[in-house]
Amino acid sequence: MGILLRIIRMAAHYPARLSLAYITALAAIGFSMALPILFGRAIDTMVGQNPDNKLLFELDFRMADLAFFGVGILVVSLARGFCDFGRTYTTESLSQKVSFDCRNLLYDKLQNVSFAFHDKEHTGDLMSRATADVEAMRRFVNMGMIRSLDVVVRIIAIPAYLFTINWELALVSMVFVPAIVLRSAFVMRALRRKWLHVQEVMGESVTVLQENLAGMHVVKAFASENFERRKYNRKAEELRVEYFDAERMQGTNSAWMTLYFTFALGIILWLGGWQIIRGALTPGELAAFLLFLNQLTFPIRASAQIINTFSRAISSGQRLFNVLDTRSPVSERPNAADMGRPTGHVRFEKVGFAYEDRSPALREVNLDAKPGQVTAILGAPGSGKTTVVNLLPRFYDVTDGKITIDGSDIRDFTLQSLRHNVGIVHQDVYLFSANIRDNIGYGVKDATHEDIERAAKVAQLHDQIMALPNGYDTWVGERGTTLSGGQRQRLSIARTILIDPPVLILDDSTSSVDVETERQIHRAMVEVMKGRTTFVIAHRLSTVREADQILVLEKGNIVERGNHEELIRSGGIYQSIYELQLRPQEEVLLEASVPAMADGRAAL
Amino acid sequence: MMRGGGGMGGGMMRGMRGTSADSMFAPTNDNLTDEDVVGRVYDNRVVMRFMTFIKPYRKFALIALVSLLVYAVVNASIPLLIMYGINWAVAAGEVNRVHIIGAAFMVITVIHFLSNRLQFIFISRTGQHVLYDLRSGMFSHLQNQSNAFYHRTPIGRVMSRMQSDVLQLQETFELLALALAELVTVGAIILLMLIVSWQLALVCMIIVPILTVIMMYWQRFARHSFMRIRRAIAMVNGEYNQNITGVRVVQSLNRQDENMAHFRTLNQEYLDANLEAARYSGMLQPLVELLIGLGIGIGVVLFGSWLLKLDALEVGTLVAFAFWIQRFFEPIRQLTMQYSQLQRAMAAGVRIFEVLDLDPDIMDKPDAVALPEVKGEIRYKDVNFHYVEGVEVLRNINVHINAGENVALVGSTGAGKSTFVNLLHRSADVTGGSISVDGHDIRDVKRESLVHQMSMVLQEPYLFSGTVRENIAYQNEDLTEDEIIAAAQAVGAHDFIMEMDSGYDSELAERGINLSIGQRQLISFARAIAGNPRILVLDEATANIDTHTELLIQRALSRILTDRTSIVIAHRLSTIRNADKIVVLDRGRVAEVGNHDQLLEAGGVYAQLYAINYGLSGPSVDVAPVGGEVIGADGLSPAAAD
Repeated sequence: MGILLRIIRMAAHYPARLSLAYITALAAIGFSMALPILFGRAIDTMVGQNPDNKLLFELDFRMADLAFFGVGILVVSLARGFCDFGRTYTTESLSQKVSFDCRNLLYDKLQNVSFAFHDKEHTGDLMSRATADVEAMRRFVNMGMIRSLDVVVRIIAIPAYLFTINWELALVSMVFVPAIVLRSAFVMRALRRKWLHVQEVMGESVTVLQENLAGMHVVKAFASENFERRKYNRKAEELRVEYFDAERMQGTNSAWMTLYFTFALGIILWLGGWQIIRGALTPGELAAFLLFLNQLTFPIRASAQIINTFSRAISSGQRLFNVLDTRSPVSERPNAADMGRPTGHVRFEKVGFAYEDRSPALREVNLDAKPGQVTAILGAPGSGKTTVVNLLPRFYDVTDGKITIDGSDIRDFTLQSLRHNVGIVHQDVYLFSANIRDNIGYGVKDATHEDIERAAKVAQLHDQIMALPNGYDTWVGERGTTLSGGQRQRLSIARTILIDPPVLILDDSTSSVDVETERQIHRAMVEVMKGRTTFVIAHRLSTVREADQILVLEKGNIVERGNHEELIRSGGIYQSIYELQLRPQEEVLLEASVPAMADGRAAL
Repeated sequence: MMRGGGGMGGGMMRGMRGTSADSMFAPTNDNLTDEDVVGRVYDNRVVMRFMTFIKPYRKFALIALVSLLVYAVVNASIPLLIMYGINWAVAAGEVNRVHIIGAAFMVITVIHFLSNRLQFIFISRTGQHVLYDLRSGMFSHLQNQSNAFYHRTPIGRVMSRMQSDVLQLQETFELLALALAELVTVGAIILLMLIVSWQLALVCMIIVPILTVIMMYWQRFARHSFMRIRRAIAMVNGEYNQNITGVRVVQSLNRQDENMAHFRTLNQEYLDANLEAARYSGMLQPLVELLIGLGIGIGVVLFGSWLLKLDALEVGTLVAFAFWIQRFFEPIRQLTMQYSQLQRAMAAGVRIFEVLDLDPDIMDKPDAVALPEVKGEIRYKDVNFHYVEGVEVLRNINVHINAGENVALVGSTGAGKSTFVNLLHRSADVTGGSISVDGHDIRDVKRESLVHQMSMVLQEPYLFSGTVRENIAYQNEDLTEDEIIAAAQAVGAHDFIMEMDSGYDSELAERGINLSIGQRQLISFARAIAGNPRILVLDEATANIDTHTELLIQRALSRILTDRTSIVIAHRLSTIRNADKIVVLDRGRVAEVGNHDQLLEAGGVYAQLYAINYGLSGPSVDVAPVGGEVIGADGLSPAAAD
């Protein structure tokens, strides 16, 4: 119920629309109830009222007497039509406003909630919240809030009026109402569970599909097409069964509703006819009675649907509010200040971190990077390298200790100003559906073309962009030109240095490129790192050796630190890594220097 | 998505708004047609094709059809019973006749109920079966497409066909059934009205042509606004999707405010489009009510009473007519609403069948046999290959690899290394010459039986959501626990797996994103060797793994390689040196074959490459296959992967 109330509150943000919707709905009911009454009177005028006469229907009337009723029916119908229009439009407008708000809220929440949230959630599932669940809420506002009033008022007003005509008939015909209410309550609960389940299965099948398509190269490499088919068919079959089950339940419910109505119509005709013969009812009253019942059909049928929107809205609302209520573990303090432009002195003081309900990923990490210094981070996968750098822009918050920039805890600043000063090049490069220029300029609102070109030049990407037929206007990302891994990474570098951050993080960014590109990037990096405090996660000696300090991580602890010479001398892990892997690289790079450049094919 | 109850309610509007079933992605150009194609309202090919899907369930469909017809006819004839009740029983003052009519009504009620329920259930049953077949068929068909197809076709487009188009069709299928019921009802009502009193019927129906003209005029405006809704929702959802998949960049670059502003504009357009559509759809209501008012007020009450005076009909007939007129406009209104839905469905149908009609790129020959267990001898004989006619990627390749040999594939970017190995597992077929394994031409055997005896390790590790165990055992459902653990141990993944909360039962997130890339790589190695393949193809992906882990892997792989045939696209000198045979590719040709010492001595391309790239000692920094080649592990950008 809390969920529904919350949706209702969202709709109450628009009191004018809401009240107008209710007013027009009520007026429409009034006018529509006038029709059977007028029609009944017309019939009675035609057959005359003569209870003593055994011959019941005496056709003794003047056409002029009927003109009032005929024209009256026309007028109330028209009035009802206009009220219906008013109701439909205001209702639609209200419900669309609510879903508009919902989408905005959700969008904003999703882009601001911390990485920890996105690590857990599947894209397909989040998409279905933004589409199917928002739609279910909209339907609830439309049907559940406005239409339900229509239904309830009719179900009360019509019987009430019928009681004034003939209480016996009214009583008999309304016997079915409690049955409907009871049945509805029962079905509502069951359907709610059903649809929730259907949605889950649907989400699962979408995930299977999405992963299959995205991983098609793996599927091909393992010839696992049949395995994938079985996997998907299992989900599709489950979906079929569940969907059918839900629809059967819904259909059965609807059929019962209709049954009640038809049954009541029959009983009225039966008993009403009997009463007319006994003189207790006029034919016009019977006609009005029947037409009223007919008017009840629609509300009663709709009530099955409305019940459904309630149950859907509860399940969908739950899914939506779960997201909207997610409190990002990374949030700004109330008095967060703008960071300004720091010199970039970064300190980790006894920093500990654990991903939600998992064992600690970092323990007591201490680190001091002076402005302009380069810190290289090495370690086995899972040793916590990425975690260290993700803490700095506060994609996650430390669970122990603190991180300071220029002496102030980074949690004292606004997220925006912090992230403006801490640039990061991620290891997974994401391109937006946009042209290259906009992708590079993504982080800077009003970057000029010159700025963008300069960043691209620094990232050694400019020439390759210019070689494309459309240059900077080349469309990339989904549905765009596919860039190579090396190009994507350099684009990402350009994007990051465009914001000119005093603190720069390069996560694995220069790994999967060839010798020549590596060299170009290295040259660029030297430029880029100038005057910036830089953290590099790299396996390349070129970067590592020039670093002011090197940190070696193991299982979340810093096990070695120092510069290249110091660590070589100390003869620890770094030294062995160096001997085995880095030194040979060094020689290669030196050797390769000239000839590799001559070999143009090695480049992109 | 959901079925509306029975005839749907009085002023209830339906099908007017963009629903969740709307296309998620905006249109583009590739070999699947444009998403925005306006469908015809009725496309015979689509309907006929759809019928073939119903065929297996024709029994269900028949039951649905019959019960639907019964339901519609009974529905239309209820006013008839009322008429007889008043005219034949009540007006005559015969109580017995009233009982007869009452009893008859009860019987009709039961039939009405049963037929109603049956049509619901069987329409749904047929529909859901057909949808399953469509989904399963499309999915199956998509598995037959080559990497080249996925290279040209963004995943989002395929997804939207599998999801929204199928949902469109589902909605329409049930709608069509409903529309049929409505049509039958209208037909039956017209017929009954004409039989009962043709004069009154004609007067009441005079308004129908007017209605038709107005509807046709209205339709033109309404359609435009529905199109607008669809375009708007595609933009909104596209932006959503991008925001979710690119969230890490968005936050890193502080783009939230601007994105929000942009999204608001898109969202506003969707809102406006919906409101416009609401105005159009709402406009019909005064119109329909006017027509009902004219029909009952002027037709039944005034003209009817005149006929009554003339003794041309009786009072009960007037009551029945009032019922029919009210019932009459409902289906018409419904049908108009469903017009645009039908249009969408036809377009969806076209798109779905397009997927089903894609030619599978690699097909087993009809007489393909299962490849028996092989020893692992591989022979490339005069192999040529091109993607585009005239642009040869591989030329005249002759390589013989003995069972158990370890081969290093060396060459600069674009030399054809990836293509060389892709041909082996038939990502594409040779365009000239042949490749054989243990003497079997690989085109003559079932691809599955071939590929199951070899394993590929791709450069970018790609994992599926599910447990670690499921990922390692991928598709080898009968692997034992021991085999899985052994595979993990062999690549040095066991330790970190055991450190995860649930060990081998730990759930991986989408694409394994809760692991580091290095860890993902290790699991993908374990997956590759878990099936104990005879042939191992390895695109040496050293780039993402740190030196420490890499040593572990190198050691493990050298153990694993000992009794297998292996082809390694080598970037590491140690791999190359230890290879039994080095195949040097240069611009699509085999430049040299031999072992390290032999080739150095020969002083050819290898010696040059070696001098250039590896110096005199130490491993490498070569050349990830970037750009140049059309098919490859990096064919999908991360963007497309979402």
